[in-house]
Amino acid sequence: MNPVVRERLFGVHSAFDHPVVLGVVVAAAAALLIAPLAVWLLARAGRLAPETRRELYLRIFTWALLMPLLLGPILLGAAWVILGVLALSLLCYREYARLTGLFREKMMSLVVVVGIVLVSFAIFDHWYGFFAALAPLGVATIAAVGLLGDRPQGYIQRLALAVLAFALFGIGLGHLAYFANDTNYRAILVLLLVAVALNDVFAYLSGKTIGGPRLCPHTSPNKTIGGAVGALVLTTALVCLLGRLVFADQPMGQWHHLLALGLLISVAGQFGDLMLSAVKRDIGVKDIGHTLPGHGGLLDRFDSLLLVAPTVYHYVGYIQGVGLDQPTNLFTEAAAWATSLISP
Amino acid sequence: MVDFRLEPAKDLGLTHRQRTLSLNREAGLIETGLHMGWWGFMRTYLRLYHRMRVEGRSHLPAKPPFVLIANHASHLDALAMAAPLPWRHRDCIFPLAAGDVFFETPVLATFAMACINALPVWRNNCGRHALGELRKRLVEQPCIYILFPEGRRSEDGSLLEFKAGLGMMVAETGVPVVPCWLGGAHEAWARDAIVPRPRKIVMRIGEPLDFAGIRNRREGWSKIADRARAAVVALAGDQSEGASRITGR
Repeated sequence: MNPVVRERLFGVHSAFDHPVVLGVVVAAAAALLIAPLAVWLLARAGRLAPETRRELYLRIFTWALLMPLLLGPILLGAAWVILGVLALSLLCYREYARLTGLFREKMMSLVVVVGIVLVSFAIFDHWYGFFAALAPLGVATIAAVGLLGDRPQGYIQRLALAVLAFALFGIGLGHLAYFANDTNYRAILVLLLVAVALNDVFAYLSGKTIGGPRLCPHTSPNKTIGGAVGALVLTTALVCLLGRLVFADQPMGQWHHLLALGLLISVAGQFGDLMLSAVKRDIGVKDIGHTLPGHGGLLDRFDSLLLVAPTVYHYVGYIQGVGLDQPTNLFTEAAAWATSLISP
Repeated sequence: MVDFRLEPAKDLGLTHRQRTLSLNREAGLIETGLHMGWWGFMRTYLRLYHRMRVEGRSHLPAKPPFVLIANHASHLDALAMAAPLPWRHRDCIFPLAAGDVFFETPVLATFAMACINALPVWRNNCGRHALGELRKRLVEQPCIYILFPEGRRSEDGSLLEFKAGLGMMVAETGVPVVPCWLGGAHEAWARDAIVPRPRKIVMRIGEPLDFAGIRNRREGWSKIADRARAAVVALAGDQSEGASRITGR
């Protein structure tokens, strides 16, 4: 294997080469240590109700589990990022299918799962042509397989649910994994994860402090315009500051591009959040599950990322490209070479 | 066939343990694959090792829901009854299994859920509620229940009295009840044997019984139990080994 590729896929020793990666990992570890201490001190001072305290401990505990699972693959290498996102996509799809009833359509479910796996393969291979082709081909396959049962009743619903699932968990999250083909993938992914996670926190905090009229009371009654604007400002500021370091000496590192990137992350993240609220409300379910104690299901945690990943990918891709200096077609090249041996 | 229902899984949000015990459990993609594989494997095993023969396959209803009942004298019984069903029905086969045997330990319960797709029935306190849930599921969803109205495995292979549970599930519903007779399963794997012996198994499938016209109350249940038992006895025939024991009831 090409040493450049091996270094990107499995090069653990370079994990902390980028200052942003090191800084964020240290900050995250520190937060995980300080947070329970702060809760304990507040509780001792009698400022927390026992119920709130338990809820906070639960949330911290879940973050303590989640953080290594999110940051671990990024530190270990690009191969683990791609596998990790594949696992995340499949688990999210599982939750979505059980939520919407799509899981009862076994053949369509199978097509979506195979599609998600193929997306991962295209990413691993660094074969953008196939990755791009999978979106229309996936839709075509889902539409065709949906016809097999000869049941036109409910066809549009089944088709729409499966296509949406593939678009969100296959293609959408696939764009997150595709960043792993960039030489600078660690810093970019860390920036994305931090920005998306803090976007939620900023929205919650500024919603509590500023408040104001409700954003869309029928979809999600707790969100306020103050929260949305606060998140927009704070996340954009954060992305500008971190982005300067992440994209140092690159086209994306210019202030106006970072400003646009921050706005895109915040807006797409908030829309992703609202999208899941709307889906849950439409179906009439309050909780997706308790995969993550204190957070609900996986989807509750990763809803923002679904829309952020493709948005950011294509902005960065348009301005400076993703993974352009990395070798492409890792496996398919070898396959093409093998076939060229057989045929004259 | 039913239209698409925009409706979450009935077991949404349950923990793994709760899910294994739930009567409303719905299989996901992995479990469906396991069910398909398991019943395919059982079919091959029964054919090769027990040289299993099935008579009266044409009596099987074309579509679920329906209930398969038979005499019960061996752990092989439920496996033998499910194996000849067509593969497109394999994912909706639900053997009703004794909770105290199959669902006490988490490992066995997980196996019973993932491979056999068994639903637990608690014999000591199988309340009206649990039977009501099973009845509701049978009416609303395409299910195939495999159950043994005797309520336990017979020790010597003779046919015991049928219990009222079957009637409580199907009275007034019009869900067909298919009586079956299993010959040789007791000899192949008796209650005290550790491993199955390569004895021949014969399964006879009878004509479906319809209990739509029978009232869902105590008299109706015993009437259903009697009719179902008579149908199973009739299938046993004269040549059967157990026949003398049955007719001498």
